[in-house]
Amino acid sequence: MNIVVCIKRVPQTADAQVRVDSSGKDIEKERLTFDLNESDAYALEQAVLFKEQSGGTITAVSVGHPDTEDTLRMVLAKGADTAIRIKAEDFDELDGYKTAQILKTVIEKAEFDMIFTGCMATDDGYYQVGVNLAQLLGIPHATLVSSIEIGDGAARIKRELEGGLLEHDEISLPALFSVQTGINVPRYASLIAIRKAAKKEIAAVGQDDIDKDALVLNTQIEELFVPPVTKRAEIFSGTPEEVSGKLADMLNEKGLI
Amino acid sequence: MDFDLKEHQQMIKETARDFAEKEIRPVAAKADEEAELPEGVLGKLGELGFMGMMLPEEYGGAEFDCVSYAIAVEEISRGDASVGITMSVHNSLVCQPILDYGSDEQKKKYLPDLAQGKTLGAFSLTEPEAGSDAGNVQTTAVLDGDHYVVNGTKIFVTSGGKADIVILFASTDKAAKTKGLSTFIVEKGTEGFKVGKKEDKMGMRGSGTYELVFENCRVPKENLLGGEGDGFRIALKTLDGGRVGVAAQAVGIGQACVEAATRYSKERKQFGKPICAFQAIQWLLADMATEIDAARFLTLKAAFLKDKGLRYSKEAAQAKLFASEAAVRAAINAVQVHGGYGYMKEYEVERHFRDSKLTELYEGTSEVQRMVIAASLLK
Amino acid sequence: MAEILALVEHRQGSLRDVTFELMSCGRKLAENLDTRLTAVLLGHNTGEFADDLKTQAHRILVLDDERFKDFNSESYQQALSQVIKSENPVITLIGHTAFGMSLCPALGAQLDIPSSTDCLDIEMNDGGLKVIRQMYEGKLDARVRFRESPSYLVTIRTGCFPAEDGNLQAEIVSSDLKAAEPQHLKFIEYLEAAVGDVDITKADVVVGVGRGIKEKENMAMVEEFAGMIGGVVACTRPIVDAEWLPKDRQVGSSGKTVKPKLYIALGISGAFQHTAGMKGSDTIIAVNKDPDAPIFGEADYGIVDDLFKVLPALRDKITELKQ
Repeated sequence: MNIVVCIKRVPQTADAQVRVDSSGKDIEKERLTFDLNESDAYALEQAVLFKEQSGGTITAVSVGHPDTEDTLRMVLAKGADTAIRIKAEDFDELDGYKTAQILKTVIEKAEFDMIFTGCMATDDGYYQVGVNLAQLLGIPHATLVSSIEIGDGAARIKRELEGGLLEHDEISLPALFSVQTGINVPRYASLIAIRKAAKKEIAAVGQDDIDKDALVLNTQIEELFVPPVTKRAEIFSGTPEEVSGKLADMLNEKGLI
Repeated sequence: MDFDLKEHQQMIKETARDFAEKEIRPVAAKADEEAELPEGVLGKLGELGFMGMMLPEEYGGAEFDCVSYAIAVEEISRGDASVGITMSVHNSLVCQPILDYGSDEQKKKYLPDLAQGKTLGAFSLTEPEAGSDAGNVQTTAVLDGDHYVVNGTKIFVTSGGKADIVILFASTDKAAKTKGLSTFIVEKGTEGFKVGKKEDKMGMRGSGTYELVFENCRVPKENLLGGEGDGFRIALKTLDGGRVGVAAQAVGIGQACVEAATRYSKERKQFGKPICAFQAIQWLLADMATEIDAARFLTLKAAFLKDKGLRYSKEAAQAKLFASEAAVRAAINAVQVHGGYGYMKEYEVERHFRDSKLTELYEGTSEVQRMVIAASLLK
Repeated sequence: MAEILALVEHRQGSLRDVTFELMSCGRKLAENLDTRLTAVLLGHNTGEFADDLKTQAHRILVLDDERFKDFNSESYQQALSQVIKSENPVITLIGHTAFGMSLCPALGAQLDIPSSTDCLDIEMNDGGLKVIRQMYEGKLDARVRFRESPSYLVTIRTGCFPAEDGNLQAEIVSSDLKAAEPQHLKFIEYLEAAVGDVDITKADVVVGVGRGIKEKENMAMVEEFAGMIGGVVACTRPIVDAEWLPKDRQVGSSGKTVKPKLYIALGISGAFQHTAGMKGSDTIIAVNKDPDAPIFGEADYGIVDDLFKVLPALRDKITELKQ
């Protein structure tokens, strides 16, 4: 099984304050930390599990700025064999579709049985690049994948639908799977793997290799803004004892406890 | 001159932090309360290669430099210093002397399991009457046929109750004082080797500290590390490396204090604003951060000299002295920033306050570090 | 003006709520653009669905085939691409659901039509099509402009356009397009997630926990609290990913939807993936350290503090009240 994994380096915004920068179209990045996108970590782990099971190679690909190399190097340490950075700085503004077109030009040259992506990136939340890419490559895809079993030329997958329902499908290979978090337990890189990965070359691909003019940009961010407040909770203030008192009284009055 | 970490060092830092954030820090309070390391944590650290960081690959080690090691110890200690001390003793005081002084047979026999964390090591030099005064070691080892017969009691042995092997210092010639000190590898279960009482400590409670008792303990002759009389030299050189580890632990505790205090000062509101808006708090934070950064640079400098194969005794002592005292000050200030809450166990700074103090005491007190530094200056 | 298309979504023999939300959105757009809304219904024996949708659209285009009975991204894509080519809609609306996520980006790439996913709002005027999307885990909104195109594809987040009664009389048109046998993707079955001993959808009081709970050991405290107030414990996705609670306790878009009398959110930031499953609760209380957490935009009452300080205090107060 030869596997391609598409990954993205994203700002870690879950516990951070996110501020719009002076352009109004991007965020202030200086004080944020960056790391592998959450569901991409599961995509990578799934690829590594299959490689351990049945051999083959894993190629990690990312469209990103130079610091993406740090993320790719960790991806190498966690089990990928080769890594390619497609130089985001060569391609001006990106959206999900343009990213998919760029990925396609690189991945179509590789030999693969499966492509894994995360189901979404936590920064732009497109849920789009994987499916775009599958379509551009002319291969079938499955999204929100929470389990995969590989058979002969096909895979049995489970997809997560709403309400806790699962959809059980069979899909022929080669195929692209965009995986949900929780599908496995992503590993830590071992130190020996780090030592080997630290010395590996990360291939760089840029505008000399990809015809920029053929790429289409579907959407552009016009403005980023703090979501308007439509409703705001009534905040109890005071010491933990005071707020608990007020809350307990309120619940009691409403007959909720 | 370059302050950037090398690629592998950055990756180690990231991995150690990630591991500590997910596997160590969330259960640190429990480890402290129960005086036990989190279950399975050493095994996981071993699998990842943190227990044999500087051992060559042929023995299953990760074969990294001392700078990488210091970075890892800092990050692990930032999660829980009790895990940090266990890892540091194992790497610096057990793996390292076996690598430096062991015979081929000893290295092949002990290092692979140590490197993978399948076995845990302890270092036992201190006695009731001999701490830094290694010439006064009372434990004796007398050759009897194929065995040395060891008698004596060791105290304050980190991991002593759990360790599979102990690096033991005993006198083979009492009259020769320091020149009569020898080093042995003693396996758990050796006849006459008993684990004594477990100390009830102020801090670093997750890491067990034990008394070890040797009563006519018969240690095979081939377990002598180096030659007879090499013990003092082995102890000194090993402790130089150990001090880098202790300094890194202190930096980790200090860093945790800086972060906890900064975070809390932004959350806690008094007089209608977060307390970080008050200059009195800002100055505490500024001092803590500055001192911990300085401590980190001293620590990495000592590690850097070791990696270059240069003398680093003075620098290791300076790093250990400054980092441990800076960590204690940072912990005191972090508690201060937390006010009354900082005195409560719900807040991690309470633990850092107790944990930090040990770094000023073990592997040579601050006073001993000053002696080492002064001796180096006056030589 | 070309029409608006909206894709009808159904599952296991029922129309899904999102269908009516799409129709609301579609009618609004059609009105503004002075055009008509066509509901595209792919299914099998869909008479009942068409009846239910009669007032919702100007026209219902029905593609009836046994192969459309269950969603299959391959056969749906194949058929819908034909429909879009022949109808030339200005906008095709699809729900941002597990179906829509598979369908929309594939159609866009296949037909070279610009698409955007997970849109909260949509506006079309002389300046072209613009949508509002969330970014950075709900912390910011983005106004996104599309490149100029005769046709657009958009997936709409559930809950953004409330379902409304329509007053239209739809013309029902059967399409003679037939489904092709899917070559690559075979639907096998739906599987219900394993059901545990607690059904969170039936409880009057639900205590939800998120990442803020920090460690597995702290779950016991929450269980105890929930038990005391006669509630059950539910959670966000990361808690299930960490295996601290089983999947059937997950509330949100990929979990259960709950509408209890009281929902207490502990250490939950309030990502839409979670709030989608609990915002219908009668009374919502949130405890979170971060005053900017989006959960306070959903809650009726909030406490900005450490849940580990609030919970014990609250437990004590409630015990007092009960005595």
